[in-house]
Amino acid sequence: MDFQTKLIAQEGTGMNLRNLILFLSAACVLPIVGCTGSKSGSAAKQGTVGIAFETLQTEYWVAGFDAIKEELEKRDFAVLEAIADGDPNRQLQQVKNFITRRVDGIVLVPKDANSCIPAIRAANEAGIPIVLFNRPAAAEADVQSVAVQADNYKISLETVGFMIEQARKTGTKHKAMIVMGDLGDINAIGRRDGFDAAVKGNEDVIDVVARVPSEWNQEKAQAGVVNALQANPDISFLFTSSDFLLPSIVSALKSSGKYEKIGQPGHVILGGFDGDATAYQMLKDGYLDATGVQDVYFEAQASVQALLDLMAGKEVEPLIHDPGFVIHQGNEAEMADRTWGAKLVNSQE
Amino acid sequence: MRYLLVARSLLRSGWLTCILCMLYALIMAMLAPGFASIENFSNVLVAMLPLMIVATGQTAVLITAGIDLSVTSVIALTSVAGASLVSGDTSPLSGSALATPIAILAMLATGALVGMINGSCVAWLRMPAFVVTLTMMMFASGFAVWTTQSQSYSELPASLLFLGKNGWASGTVALLVAFSVHFMLHRTRLGTSLFAIGHNPETALVSGVRVQWAIVIAYVICGCCAAVASVLILGQLETGSPVQWENNLLDVVGATVIGGTSLYGGRGSVLWTFFGVLLLTLIDNSLNLMNLSHFSIMMIKGCVILLAAFLDTLRHREEDR
Repeated sequence: MDFQTKLIAQEGTGMNLRNLILFLSAACVLPIVGCTGSKSGSAAKQGTVGIAFETLQTEYWVAGFDAIKEELEKRDFAVLEAIADGDPNRQLQQVKNFITRRVDGIVLVPKDANSCIPAIRAANEAGIPIVLFNRPAAAEADVQSVAVQADNYKISLETVGFMIEQARKTGTKHKAMIVMGDLGDINAIGRRDGFDAAVKGNEDVIDVVARVPSEWNQEKAQAGVVNALQANPDISFLFTSSDFLLPSIVSALKSSGKYEKIGQPGHVILGGFDGDATAYQMLKDGYLDATGVQDVYFEAQASVQALLDLMAGKEVEPLIHDPGFVIHQGNEAEMADRTWGAKLVNSQE
Repeated sequence: MRYLLVARSLLRSGWLTCILCMLYALIMAMLAPGFASIENFSNVLVAMLPLMIVATGQTAVLITAGIDLSVTSVIALTSVAGASLVSGDTSPLSGSALATPIAILAMLATGALVGMINGSCVAWLRMPAFVVTLTMMMFASGFAVWTTQSQSYSELPASLLFLGKNGWASGTVALLVAFSVHFMLHRTRLGTSLFAIGHNPETALVSGVRVQWAIVIAYVICGCCAAVASVLILGQLETGSPVQWENNLLDVVGATVIGGTSLYGGRGSVLWTFFGVLLLTLIDNSLNLMNLSHFSIMMIKGCVILLAAFLDTLRHREEDR
C-alpha cells in the first residue's frame, strides 16, 4: 500500500483523525515555541529601542543593522527588531507595534523618502523620538525626524575623481559607463550627481557612453551592463552606484572577456560605492581600483547618539552627514580598519 | 465518538478558523506584550482592512476554481494610475474639485479592465487562470514601473487620503465591499452560478448557467476589490508607488484559503475569509510584538498556510468520496 493510499485509508478511522488534529496543533505551536526561545527580555535596561529596517537584502544593511544593535546593547538598551521586506505598509504596522510596546526610541530605515511619512507621524504623535538611518524623509514633509546619511555626492565625487586620475595616467581617452540605482532613492541620485560632477571638466579623458538603470536589482544591472558592452565594446571605465551590484557586473565583464587585473591589457577601470566585502576582496585581488566607503560604524554610532540626545530632550541637527572616504589600491592597508567590508572579509579568513 | 464527530464536522466547517482566531488571541494575550490592548486591536483591525478587501475579491474567483495572482500588481498599477492624476501641483487634475472622484474612478476602471482581460482569457480562450494572471502580474507591475520610471507619487490631496487614513472610513468601505460580495455570492443568481461553476463547469453549462460571463464578472469583481484596497493603501502610506504591496500575494491567497475557501472551487464564504484574514493579521502582529525576526514570522506564516492548504485537500477528498 503506497503512502497516499494509506493516508486515504486512515482518514476513515477516528483514532487517526485524533492523531491528525494533534499533529496539526503541534505543527502550529512548535515553530512559535522554537522561534521564541532565543529572545531575551528587557528587564533592568536603560530603555527599549525599536529598529525597523526596510530590508536586509545587502551586506550593507546587515552590517548597519548589526552595528546599531551592538551600539545600543553597549549602552545597555534592549532592542526590538522588525524587517519590512520592502513593504512600507508592513513597516508602518511594525512602527505602530513598537508604539504599542512603548519603546523609548525608534531607528528606521525607510523604503523611500515619501512612504515613511505616516510612520514618522505616528511616532511623533506618540512622542517617541525617531532617527532615520541612511535614508532621510522628504524635506517638505510636516514631520519631525533626524536622519544620518552618507554624503553620497561627496564620496562619489572623490571616488570617481580617483578613477579619473588613474584613467589620465594611461594617456588615452576612456569610454565610460555608470550603473545607477533606483532614481526614486535620494542616495542613488546623490551618487549619480557625484559621478556627473567628477566627469564634468574631464571630458578630454572620459566620454560617458552608457547609463544603466539598475533599480537596485542585480538581474537588471547584469542585463544592462551586457547590453551596454555589446553596444560599446570598447568601454574601459565603469562606476557602479552600489557594491552589491559588483557580482552582476563582474559576470557581465567576464562574459565579454573584459575582466582583467589592474595593469593587465584590457583592464576596465572599476569603481564602486559602499565598501562591502565583495568590493574589498576585489580590491585586495587587484581587480577593483577604488570604492567609496560609507562608514557604517560612524553612522550607527551617530544614529544612536542622536536618538539618545532626542530622548534627553536635546536639540539635534535634522541631517547628520557621514563624510565617508575612498579606499583604493594606494591606501588599502591604511583604511582597511575603517572599512566594514574589510572587517567582514578578515573575520571570515 | 461524539467528540470525534464534532471534530470532524469542525474540520469541514469554515468556523474552524473563527475558533482558531479566538484561541490564538487568548494564548497571545498571555505571551505577547501589548497584544491585549485596545490600541493594538485597533491597529490590527485597521491593518487588516486592505487585505480583507483584496481577499474578498479573491474569494469570488477561487469559488469558480480559478485564481487571480495579479491582484498585488493591480494594487501597484491602480495606485500610480490614481496618484499620478492628482499628485503635487503639476498633475493633470491638481487643484480641481473633481480630482479625488476622478482619481478613484480611474483606479476602479483600471482594476476592472485588468479583471476583464484576465476573465476573458480564462473564460473565452479557456487559458489556465494560473498562467493568465501570473502573466498579467508581470505585465501590470512592469507597466507600472515603466510608465513611472520607478518614481513614487506623494503630495496627494487630503480628500483622496481620507478613506485610508481614517479608521472609521476604511472600516465602512471594507464592510460595504464585504457585504456586497457576500450578498452577491449567497443571495443572487450570479453567486449560485459561481458556486456551480466551481463544482463542475460542464454541469453548470448544461443547467443553463452563462458560464463565461459569470467567470468574467468574478475576475472583474476581484480587480475592482484590488483597486478599492489600493485606495485605502494610498491613504495609509500617503504615497502611490509602482511597487506598492508587491510582496503580499501569498498573504492574499493564504488568508482566503485559511478561511476555508477551497482552492478546488465550489466552496467559500466572505465571512470565512474575514476570519482567515484576521488570523493571518493576528499572527503577524503578535509575533512582531514578541520580537520575532521577519524570517521567523515568514516561516510560521508559511507553515500555517501550508496546513490550511493541506486541510483543504483533505476536505476535497472527503467531498469526492
